[in-house]
Amino acid sequence: MNANTLWSLRLGFSNKQSSAIEKLGIKSFVEQSFNTKVDTVLPAFLEDSPKTMEEFKAMRQEIKKADSEAQKKILKKQIKGANELKIWWLSKMQEEEFPLQEKMTCFWHNHFVSTIQKVKANYWIYQHNMILRENAFGNFRDITKKIIQSNAMVRYLDNVDNKKGKLNENLSRELLELFTIGIGNYTEEDIKNGAKALAGLNLGNEKAVYRKALEDNDIITYLGKTGQFKVEEIIDIIFEQKNTPYFLTEKILKWFLYDNPSKELITYYGDYFKKIDFEIKPLLLKIFTEEFTKNNIGNKIKDPLVYTFQLMDELQIKETNPMLIVQFLKQQGMDLFNQPNVKGWIGGNNWMTSQIYLQRNNASDFLSSGQNIISRKKQEMMEDEPMMQRKIQKVKVAYDSNGTNKTIIKELTDRLLFTVEENTQKDMETILKYDFNPKSESADAAVLRLFNYITKLPEFQII
Amino acid sequence: MDRRKFFKLTGTYTGGSLLLPSFLHAFSSQNTFSLQEKSVIFIQLNGGNDGLNTFIPFDNPLYYDLRPNIGIAKDDIVGKTKGMGFHPALKGFATMQAAGHLSVVQNVGYPEPNRSHFRSQEIWQTGSASSEYLNEGWIGRYLDAHYNEHHPTGGINLDSIDNLALKGVEPNSITVKDPNRFKIRNTSDENVQLSENPQLDFVRKIATSVVEGSDEIQKALAKAKVEISYPKTGLGKNLEWIGKLIKGNLNSKVYYTSLGSFDTHDNQLTLHRNKLSELNDAVYTLYSDLKQAQLLPYVTIVVFSEFGRRVKDNGKGTDHGTAAPMFIIGGNTKGNIIGNNPNLADLDKGDLKYEIDFRSVYGSILENQLDFDPTKIGIKNPSLKGLF
Repeated sequence: MNANTLWSLRLGFSNKQSSAIEKLGIKSFVEQSFNTKVDTVLPAFLEDSPKTMEEFKAMRQEIKKADSEAQKKILKKQIKGANELKIWWLSKMQEEEFPLQEKMTCFWHNHFVSTIQKVKANYWIYQHNMILRENAFGNFRDITKKIIQSNAMVRYLDNVDNKKGKLNENLSRELLELFTIGIGNYTEEDIKNGAKALAGLNLGNEKAVYRKALEDNDIITYLGKTGQFKVEEIIDIIFEQKNTPYFLTEKILKWFLYDNPSKELITYYGDYFKKIDFEIKPLLLKIFTEEFTKNNIGNKIKDPLVYTFQLMDELQIKETNPMLIVQFLKQQGMDLFNQPNVKGWIGGNNWMTSQIYLQRNNASDFLSSGQNIISRKKQEMMEDEPMMQRKIQKVKVAYDSNGTNKTIIKELTDRLLFTVEENTQKDMETILKYDFNPKSESADAAVLRLFNYITKLPEFQII
Repeated sequence: MDRRKFFKLTGTYTGGSLLLPSFLHAFSSQNTFSLQEKSVIFIQLNGGNDGLNTFIPFDNPLYYDLRPNIGIAKDDIVGKTKGMGFHPALKGFATMQAAGHLSVVQNVGYPEPNRSHFRSQEIWQTGSASSEYLNEGWIGRYLDAHYNEHHPTGGINLDSIDNLALKGVEPNSITVKDPNRFKIRNTSDENVQLSENPQLDFVRKIATSVVEGSDEIQKALAKAKVEISYPKTGLGKNLEWIGKLIKGNLNSKVYYTSLGSFDTHDNQLTLHRNKLSELNDAVYTLYSDLKQAQLLPYVTIVVFSEFGRRVKDNGKGTDHGTAAPMFIIGGNTKGNIIGNNPNLADLDKGDLKYEIDFRSVYGSILENQLDFDPTKIGIKNPSLKGLF
């Protein structure tokens, strides 16, 4: 695989950016990615959604009063909104000129998990997602402060039930265990005291706010410091701890590069992360420019997003029903806004099971023959989705028609495979034989069969 | 109740008529209900098998004139009938012919022959005309029409790559790279080629452990008794697996495998003899196995290649040609030799002129062995008479 393709897949979701990386160089490409403008226009489908506390209250009452038929209708609308949110995000991932911002947003999305299933308020989930996007390249400490004080988060981790005299430790625990410093660096006492600091932080109009009656203003000791602390103070204290930079550094290395990053590498970049006071831009720039020069291909199993968008980009599929992609990602275990639990998607080997592998191969079969990504039967099971035509459009894989069977094989493997073994090469030369004529009328179809073969190899699952 | 018995009963009660449940769709298009599924095994000889040295016109002096270096001596030829006989390596073929279980269809080809391996295979696999380009294979189209719903084990392809012939709209066939994986499914780790890369090894282990439809295949293999020993060649092993799957009552309609290295531009005598021996020994063993299991009436074996070779030798080998014989083996075939002996005097640029279109042979197989109307998948050539 050529380096520009590899880095296009790593910093985005497909091969789309490889020529930009080649032209700009990795450093300038990353710097330009940092300047991506954030689209703050409220998506149309959220215009009618309740946003203020008043509006939420009104909706709750409406549901209470409604008969079961009307309740179902409201629920359906909620689900529809959730799907629209997913489609909205997927199109950003696909269309951004510099998709690193979306890739990083998705990283944070899987770090500061708040699922739509539990939060049940599309607008709050949208706000949560916008905080992640606006701060994607910001400061780890700042983004932590903002996200902990989002409506989505206080509801997702039950801080709405955390009040003086009746503490709920959920948010306080995950703040340490999963969001910042990681297990083994704090005591149960810290968690209880953190919960006191967070007690009363509850839903508000634009963001979470303390409710006077529910607050706990006790003097507490938190990670060795004593005083009367609130949410921002305890987060400041966490970021003074010596082990805080490494947990996130490890996750970033895993998200972009290695399923199993070495301890040395985590320490090396983590030390730097601390030195630059948790700024994300210089950290990413350092990691990407230094890792670019290394021979480190083949260390990561593709996540379903990259798998899907890479296939679609290679096959030049532009128009497709986005619900089918939403559905496919869900089957693949990467349902956006709906991680299985607060830990998020584990990634690595967890992206691959026999079921997932079979589904991926089926998807390649369908897409390579110009059909929809999931089978007719599965489509029929989707509610509210009209049956789609089987043939979506003509698919085509790019190749140089002035080449030979071998140059075309090379072209494709350079874009698709991190390693090519002898047996694979032999099989490919059986599919495209030496007397293959790339100008023949059936050449496109033959290259598609080669593409289909390649994308079903175990090697294709890895970058 | 056994699934097949159930079908038989249901078929009887409904008289095979209207309002069949969708899972019986496949049977509604057939005229007969039989206890044993009828199936076809295809053996594709890759590279262009030299038909003239396979089924040899030894009585025609032109044969020896045009092939001074690679002609097969008359005395060595086996199973002689009406001026034609088999290459000495094909003793099993001669035996099957004598038993009335092997038909030879002579001079099979198609108009405007293409001498590129790549294109000619494509034509044979899609059943298209020389000037026509189809995306789905002819067997794939048949399976699409035969099964109402996705049926992963409709066709079984034993090969390292998918075969265009079996490609349909629905994935009704599976490609099995190494059938051994079924045997050691639960301890497949040892079978995985280990690399330096733990990520790759992990995915490979998964890839080895999954084949759609493998449960059904496992069941079939568990049922099959092995009573005969197959040659230890690549084709021998593949046909042994196919034999097991048929004996184990897997309900596949089509089995497909291939044998390579028939592209004998040079050193043909030795190369061709070796390849034909491999073919003969494997096919004859499968034939004996099925015969012993009393399954011969249900199975048809088809041996073909993308083209034959030039009539005149090029020294020690032959170049790409056109028409060639096809072999149809089984209990159902009439065991005839169909068509004229090759006309070595009337050639087209040094190549034989085809006399029987391969799609007529396909049509006959579909109609008589698979109870299927070939026009439903766009095969309009009249079905070949006298084969079944």
